[in-house]
Amino acid sequence: MEELQLKKSLLLLSLLALLGAGCSSTPLDAPGDPSAASGKMGVDAATAEALGLEELRGNTLLSQRSVFFDFNKYDIKDEYLDLIGAHAQYLNNHAPARMIIKGNADYRGSHEYNLSLGQKRSVAVKDALNALGVDDSQIETISYGEEYANQECQADACGQDRRADITYEVE
Amino acid sequence: MIYRIYSLFFGILLLFSTPIYALEVIEILGGKASEIPIAIVPFDGLESIGGQKAHQIISSDLNRTGLFRPLNTLGISNPPSSDININYTKWSAMDAQFIVVGKVESENPISGNIKITWSLIDIFKEKTVVSMRYIGKKSQYRAIAHKVSDNVYEHLTGSKGVFHTKIAYVKKVNNKKYSLNVADFDGFNSRPILNTTQPIISPRWSPDGEKIAYVSFEKKKPVIYIQNLRTGKRTLLANFKGNNSAPAWSPDSKKLAIVLTYNQNSQIYTINADGSGIKQLMRSNAINTEPSWAPNGEDIYFSSNRGGNPQIYKVNINDDEISRVTYEGKYNLSPSISYDGKLLIFLTNDQGKFKVAIQNLISNQVLKISEGPADESPIFAPNGHLVLFTYKDYGKTTKIGTVSINGLKRLPINVGSSIIQEPTWGPITN
Repeated sequence: MEELQLKKSLLLLSLLALLGAGCSSTPLDAPGDPSAASGKMGVDAATAEALGLEELRGNTLLSQRSVFFDFNKYDIKDEYLDLIGAHAQYLNNHAPARMIIKGNADYRGSHEYNLSLGQKRSVAVKDALNALGVDDSQIETISYGEEYANQECQADACGQDRRADITYEVE
Repeated sequence: MIYRIYSLFFGILLLFSTPIYALEVIEILGGKASEIPIAIVPFDGLESIGGQKAHQIISSDLNRTGLFRPLNTLGISNPPSSDININYTKWSAMDAQFIVVGKVESENPISGNIKITWSLIDIFKEKTVVSMRYIGKKSQYRAIAHKVSDNVYEHLTGSKGVFHTKIAYVKKVNNKKYSLNVADFDGFNSRPILNTTQPIISPRWSPDGEKIAYVSFEKKKPVIYIQNLRTGKRTLLANFKGNNSAPAWSPDSKKLAIVLTYNQNSQIYTINADGSGIKQLMRSNAINTEPSWAPNGEDIYFSSNRGGNPQIYKVNINDDEISRVTYEGKYNLSPSISYDGKLLIFLTNDQGKFKVAIQNLISNQVLKISEGPADESPIFAPNGHLVLFTYKDYGKTTKIGTVSINGLKRLPINVGSSIIQEPTWGPITN
């Protein structure tokens, strides 16, 4: 029964992956929110094992989830390569795992440009994971821009907002 | 004496007189010397219920534009309330080039309607430029005063005034409550048209005045709605994969340019206002965002980091031909085009300070018109003579204000103590 459920969710994931692949090769079709459609998977023992939840929670590198950037930049600094490497390995070892990368920006500049900049940051992390063999279907990139940033930060403190956060759907 | 009688509460004007003509056309961007000294004489008769009096409203309207220097009329003995027996020598000695006089009377004791009769007088030429009478409800006191400002403005500049227009903005309370609000251009008579717990950004008023498009994070990611201002009903314009943002209306209000991250990077698309006919405008690996539709309907200005740093570009929607527009400075964002297509305003990073800059699109001359350090969201008034923007009050709380395009007058719009951001300006309507 548990195995059947897992198969079901795997099937759902691959269907979503197929849909995703289909979408990107064709012009825009009916609007839809993919994150709303997939939802959270139930975490029973088998799923937890398949997702390697214990590893996700216990591993020091995997528990690091934020990649920080310079002002108006989205290139990944060398100091984050180990963190990204660990997450790539985790995703490669656990095919059902799905990651959502949320890009952010500090308040300076326009709301719209910062939305684009946050997106560039989440895509930069995704590209780095792709380069390490992670499948596109395992990663979703979104941006919050400056909408949840500290609107009163000064100088270096604003750096806290220039980041991409790695989250896993299962969590 | 010429009278134009406007019946405000019917929304139409009944007038019997000559068409409006421009007396002195002011050269905009002319510098301090061109500020016209004008005295708005306290109107005789009834006063507004609470709040400002007519002459104060008119003074404050004209003062915002940076084209007028309203003179202090306090303590003037026997202020005139009509253009009869004007002491030209006295006003001339006060440096007044023009004066506005008027009176407020009860028009109909039963309906409670008021009438405001006023004149604009040229002190140098010693003659009346125009006299008019407005009739309206008592509650329209401010609206009538703004109409007087519009008329004075049009007579003296040759351009329509924007004192009777509306603005919209986002109010943010404790990072938890967001509302989209509509108000008179000077912040009075504000009312929320949307309340939500998630961020709202980029409201844009349709040129026909009927709708506002905006971006909401209600669906845990940015999607674009269009809200009808008359019915209050809203429709989802864009909820595609990824982010949906930066709506910009076409001049005919039939289409919008929007930004999607459907293919990962922010790219500009055009879409019909009913959600059909989506089409990608151009492709690049760089950020393309903040579209602003030029009044010719063919060019879209946008910001992009395709050259490394963000700059303003324009693209022709028919042939995708792209040209760079801003060259001064290393960081230019948020283009807004004047309604005659001749002026561009944008946000520029001037050595760490974010200021509003204006560029003449014919001469390409650039002038910084705000001081920073954290100004944002510049948007043109519908006559292209004023700019609505945000600044940080005491370096902290974001507020809205106007700056005249000659940079002379920067004044706040007071709509409360919350964070006020992401403004837009409605069109001129009758």
